[in-house]
Amino acid sequence: MTALAPAAAPKLESIAARAPRRRASPERIAAGLTIVALVAASVWALVDIDVSIAGIVDSWGNAERFFERVGTITFPEPAELVSLTALTLGLVLTGTLLAAVISVPVAYLAAGNTTPGPAWRAIGRFITVLTRAVPDIVLAMAFALMFTLGSLPGILAIGIHSVGMIAKLFADAIEQIDEGPRLAVRAAGGSKLQEFTSGILPQVLPSWIATVLHRFDINLRHSVVLGYVGVAGLGLEMSHAFKSLNYSLGIGIAIVMFVLCVVMEIVSSLIRRAMLGAQPTGRGLGDRFVRRVTSARPRTRSTVADASADAPAKVGAASPADLQAVLRRPWDGTRIRNVAWLWGAAAVIVAGVAVCDIHWADLVTVWAKVPAVAVQFWPPSFGSYDWATMSAALTETIAVALAATLLSFVFSLVIGSFAARNVAPNGGIRSGARLLLVGIRGVPEVILAILLIVITGLGSQAGMIALAFGGVGLLGKLIADSFEEVARGPERALVATGATRLQVYASATFPQGVPALIGHGFYLIDTNLRAATVLGIVGGGGIGYYLLNAGQGSNYDVVTSIVLMILVVQLVFEGLAVWMRRVFR
Amino acid sequence: MSTPIIQVAGLDKSFGRTMALDGVELTVDRGEIVVLLGLSGSGKSTLLRHLDGLERPTSGSVRVLGEEVPSLSGRRLRRLRSRVGFVFQQFELVPSLTVLENVLTGALAGLRGPRLGLWSYRRAQRLAALGHLDRVGLLDRAYQRADTLSGGQQQRVAIARALMQEPEILLADEPVASLDPESSEQVMALIREIAADAGLTVVCSLHQVDLALGWGDRIVGLRHGRVVLDTATEGLGKAEVMEIYGRVATATSELEAIERELAATSAATEASPGLRDADADADADPALADEGAR
Ligand SMILES: Nc1ncnc2c1ncn2[C@@H]1O[C@H](COP(=O)(O)OP(=O)(O)OP(=O)(O)O)[C@@H](O)[C@H]1O
Ligand SMILES: [Mg+2]
Repeated sequence: MTALAPAAAPKLESIAARAPRRRASPERIAAGLTIVALVAASVWALVDIDVSIAGIVDSWGNAERFFERVGTITFPEPAELVSLTALTLGLVLTGTLLAAVISVPVAYLAAGNTTPGPAWRAIGRFITVLTRAVPDIVLAMAFALMFTLGSLPGILAIGIHSVGMIAKLFADAIEQIDEGPRLAVRAAGGSKLQEFTSGILPQVLPSWIATVLHRFDINLRHSVVLGYVGVAGLGLEMSHAFKSLNYSLGIGIAIVMFVLCVVMEIVSSLIRRAMLGAQPTGRGLGDRFVRRVTSARPRTRSTVADASADAPAKVGAASPADLQAVLRRPWDGTRIRNVAWLWGAAAVIVAGVAVCDIHWADLVTVWAKVPAVAVQFWPPSFGSYDWATMSAALTETIAVALAATLLSFVFSLVIGSFAARNVAPNGGIRSGARLLLVGIRGVPEVILAILLIVITGLGSQAGMIALAFGGVGLLGKLIADSFEEVARGPERALVATGATRLQVYASATFPQGVPALIGHGFYLIDTNLRAATVLGIVGGGGIGYYLLNAGQGSNYDVVTSIVLMILVVQLVFEGLAVWMRRVFR
Repeated sequence: MSTPIIQVAGLDKSFGRTMALDGVELTVDRGEIVVLLGLSGSGKSTLLRHLDGLERPTSGSVRVLGEEVPSLSGRRLRRLRSRVGFVFQQFELVPSLTVLENVLTGALAGLRGPRLGLWSYRRAQRLAALGHLDRVGLLDRAYQRADTLSGGQQQRVAIARALMQEPEILLADEPVASLDPESSEQVMALIREIAADAGLTVVCSLHQVDLALGWGDRIVGLRHGRVVLDTATEGLGKAEVMEIYGRVATATSELEAIERELAATSAATEASPGLRDADADADADPALADEGAR
């Protein structure tokens, strides 16, 4: 009937002899070995950093002694606290807005459907990559040299560094628009600019606002680090307090900053909801809070009902006077709300810029100083340090990043799996795991790191634990989402064979999720490399320590070499990630 | 005759307002090859899923291998499932695993704990899996990724995975619905051969009447969740087969049409012995009626 196998059952051993040899492609083997090597290096790093239970218990003792020594936690005077908070918020707000403004033309060039040509597009892309690559701390150092002291260095550092992320997400949003409205504007004879303002902008605005608010939260968390290189605000006061060994004040400010970050996340969620006119769908702490608070009182929209209730009028019968009357848009609820928001936003922006007390004249005079400053940064050199010191410091930073990634990965795999609908044994456990991840993401990990480093007296251990903790919030969510996206059929097929839940997970869910897991793992390494550098600045050791030292000692050529070293490491991991994605698709 | 291997009685299943199964009665003896025939949405998949405990009845009884399936849970349910192989329309292989490892996953129910990677299975099991692959003619593909195979080949791997369970019953839900005619032919023939070799009981859903007539020992027709036809194919004379065939090959290809035609025949010949569990609206089983008249 068919040309399939012979009906007579052959001896099993002879089948084994006829079976093909297993052949894996050399590239796959190489990629697999690379992963094994990375995991081994991470384990080694973890051992080397010496995070042991005993160490943690010891550090608990350190913490107790610390608090005995420090006594109570103190906060700045209320008036000073208010002005510092206002200054911090104003600076971050102005910087983020600056980035948003710069990002619009960059995104226009970088988006495939709006770019004037491939060369323009490359320029747009290059700007996004470059601005992201140069750390904001280094930008702040450079600008501090150019401007008479004030808030401009911080604003410009935030403003330029943030362009990388904001312009990239702006461009993504442009590429996802419906081309119809834009075409309609073009067909009606609109100019390129009109196409943009009437065809594209209305479509991308909600997503753009969400992006800017998101970046605002990130910049606020990060502003504390900028304080270490002289950017005014809460961060600067905190670093002064720690430097003058006034620990009780330093911790007090860190706690204020911590609360401020959480509160602002909730506020930005509220704003997103109000501006987009919809319940926030995000899974952030703020979004959840807002949903909880606002779902209690459903809003009724009366305007639509009123309009439709009118009896149909005779077509074309309106007199010029009638038209005059309709010309004025009635002050209904929607209009009042919109105008209120608009003025409110304008007021906040003006206030934010005003508290920064910007020396506008500097923007004109600064250009004369640029060449002199540029010369200080170039050519790169190691100054008084030797190569061995620097490579050891860089190794330590990489080790912290790898160890933190490994720890995050292990915990995220467990929590993330339980947070996936198709893995969790029941809805309660899934919600619990999701909530845990949201809570972890709500914690500003840089500030947590500062607190841990200061309180436990441990450098890289404490920093690494803070990074690992923050990483779980991010990676756990990504893993949960990826597991929920795998094909359900194979899972069902294994359930039908009588396999246990755990067996189905290991044999059907997990193997399908592996490519995503690898991708997310490399993404976290990338994030952690940046963060581990920052840790050095706040006292966690590694290359960041030398970066801060070089900046404070005005050895800007050393700063350049360190930035280049970090850049090379990041490029290497980026290359690895691209390769892995190709091999394990 | 020994006790039936599958016994479904008064099975109702509703999904919200939809009545997917409505008073289904079905008895299958050991070694029988039964085809469930019905249009899309008639409840074939739902019925098969009940037989493997993948769905809980709204009411009614489902006895499989002497066990009351809805009352089982945990380890006992998994034990029953391991004795019943299930072949899906979309194969449902894990795309990123090798063919061999996919086959091996059929043995999970007999193992403790999770497995990942070929070497987490015992050598004897790997050998057995290779044997099953050989049986379906795909030994040379053992170490390829499952998603590099053609549809027909993937379905044969899925059959090998079911064989790995050493099942007593094989359930197949439209196993060839997404295959081209040639692969369909191969896969259907393979299922029959294997069933004969291992003395398997097979319940296979199909929607092509021609395929069903030539393949099954018995045809059970479903419509709107009710059994409307239950007849042995063997008893059908050549003429009747041709007639059913002709009816179904016409434009609508609706089971309804066959039914009406067959009902008319049966009315003419009055008696209908051996009529089993048929729903009232298909008030006669003409094939058997014809048989009685002969
Ligand atoms: N999980 C479910 N939830 C809701 N309704 C369902 C579910 N599963 C099946 N149904 C409904 O039950 C009825 C029978 O579906 P079933 O899948 O058993 O039909 P089928 O005969 O297998 O159809 P097909 O040939 O298209 O596979 C359909 O009306 C379907 O919509
Ligand atoms: Mg079906």
